[in-house]
Amino acid sequence: MKRAHFIVGVAVAAAVLAVTPFLDRYVAYLVTIVAISSIGALGLNLLTGLCGQISFAQAALMGIGAYTAGNLCNAGLGLFAIPLGGLAAATASVVIGLPALRLRGLYFAIATLAAQFILEYLFKILEPLTHGISGLLIRPPTVLGFAIQDDRAYARLAVALLFLVWSGIGVLRATNLGRSFLVVRENEIVARGMGIDVARTKFWAFLLSGFIAGIAGAMSGIASRLANPEAFSFALSVDYVAMIIVGGQGTLTGPLLGAAFVTLLPEAIQRIGELFNTPSILSALREFAFGMLIILFLIFEPLGLMAVVRKLRLRLTASKPGGKSPAATTEAV
Amino acid sequence: MALEARGVTIRFGGVVAVNGLDLDVRQGEIVALIGPNGAGKTTFINCVSGAYVPQSGRVTWKGGDILGLTPNALGQRGVSRTFQNVASLHDLTVLDIVRLGRSLGRGRTERRSLGLFTTRDPLAEELTETLLAPLGLADARHRPIQMLSYGHRKAVDLARAIAAEPELLLLDEPVAGLSSREAHELADVIRGVRERHGCTILMVEHKMDVVNRTCDRIVVMAAGSRIFDGSSDEVQVDPEVRRVYLGEP
Ligand SMILES: Nc1ncnc2c1ncn2[C@@H]1O[C@H](COP(=O)(O)OP(=O)(O)O)[C@@H](O)[C@H]1O
Ligand SMILES: [Mg+2]
Repeated sequence: MKRAHFIVGVAVAAAVLAVTPFLDRYVAYLVTIVAISSIGALGLNLLTGLCGQISFAQAALMGIGAYTAGNLCNAGLGLFAIPLGGLAAATASVVIGLPALRLRGLYFAIATLAAQFILEYLFKILEPLTHGISGLLIRPPTVLGFAIQDDRAYARLAVALLFLVWSGIGVLRATNLGRSFLVVRENEIVARGMGIDVARTKFWAFLLSGFIAGIAGAMSGIASRLANPEAFSFALSVDYVAMIIVGGQGTLTGPLLGAAFVTLLPEAIQRIGELFNTPSILSALREFAFGMLIILFLIFEPLGLMAVVRKLRLRLTASKPGGKSPAATTEAV
Repeated sequence: MALEARGVTIRFGGVVAVNGLDLDVRQGEIVALIGPNGAGKTTFINCVSGAYVPQSGRVTWKGGDILGLTPNALGQRGVSRTFQNVASLHDLTVLDIVRLGRSLGRGRTERRSLGLFTTRDPLAEELTETLLAPLGLADARHRPIQMLSYGHRKAVDLARAIAAEPELLLLDEPVAGLSSREAHELADVIRGVRERHGCTILMVEHKMDVVNRTCDRIVVMAAGSRIFDGSSDEVQVDPEVRRVYLGEP
């Protein structure tokens, strides 16, 4: 990660953290859900955008994070429940990933699809841990005797976690492992020929992306005080795939744009629906609109919103003398 | 003998790509492997570097059997290679690729910066400069590899393989796509690697001026077998080689 990007990240995170105490509760809620889905999208992007493995099990992994963190929270572990939720999801991600190591591309995607449905089923039947269809109620975590139960506090926590994950991935991208991810993504045979241990590289991708998914799920469960099967269904997995496609696979900031877009669009549609008194018709349009959107992006801008942002920036800087050359902007931002 | 291949045979369905090949490379020697297109040179390199396991034959490196080892394991034993066709590696910069190369070797001079999670590696930066400066690419460190010409990408691939600090370096047409001036510069870089690291090199190459400039000995392959083994003076007049190359009776 370039130092300038990191500084911008710090500034944005600090600014958001500074204004959250003054936010309207609804806006704080929106900040929370965008931050959570950004974390989830960064996790999936690590696996798909950096390492080239498409997964439809993201929602289920988040569910594991949520149920684990929920139970641990209720047991009084406070915020430790969040990284532990991450660890549980990381374990599950490796378990799903290892048998799938021999599968490539579409076959791997289908294996993850199966994992998604199996886990959803387990969420429903493992009543002692999950409370079945009605879901697990999660009590607010306490830190030093103070319960975190305010929408603004959730927003702060989620944004802080997002910042940690975002910088962590920025650093990861510049490590030998991060470079191996990119080679494996481009061509597994070449990666192997170069001497990269492809299985080990994928193992780390599953582990780290699962951990991040678990953190997103844990935060989501804590913020909604509930973990139920419906909240981590296949449809959500599709949403996450949409987020990284719309945002720009493989980039560092694209998943954040995609997450904001995919998360806020239904909110916007609902508000518009309420305005015109036609909420049900519009929410039916939602799935359709998503489908169309993904197809349009895949056809016209496979590199997502991030590519659009880059083009705009190029256009702005190109008119100035001494503006950045295209070479300087192709690095993953 | 450092590298020793005996009776290596590799078939693809009905095609016999390498046919009972015997080949030796002594410690510290640079050997050119030449021959017409389709002679089986790349296939043989693929076999020594762990991509294929031959149907029959034996390959040893410093006395140890290396057939069946993965390229990763071979890297740890000091064997590294370049590719005839470099893959497109989007988003990776020149320095990224050299660093990756170093991390896949044994780290003979320095191991600390080779861990999975390290981000800084001054030695890789230094290597990138020295290896690519002769091609005028010293400043290209942070340039995405996609933006380089085919020949320059191949030079970066060579830098990657050298960065692993190998003891055995397998090169598959390293100067293809370069101008002849650049090819000569790179030939000197290759000789320099041998001088500096005492590295043993087996190199597939077509450009005879580069071969003569770099190599101590020439092996000629045709239709999967060895038809000549000797010096560059001898190869010019060898009747079998002339027949294969020039179609003389
Ligand atoms: N993976 C493969 N599958 C099938 N045939 C192959 C494969 N690789 C090489 N061959 C065949 O083996 C022969 C030798 O090819 P190659 O080793 O690439 O020759 P060279 O590098 O000497 O030009 C050719 O006839 C080629 O078509
Ligand atoms: Mg070849």
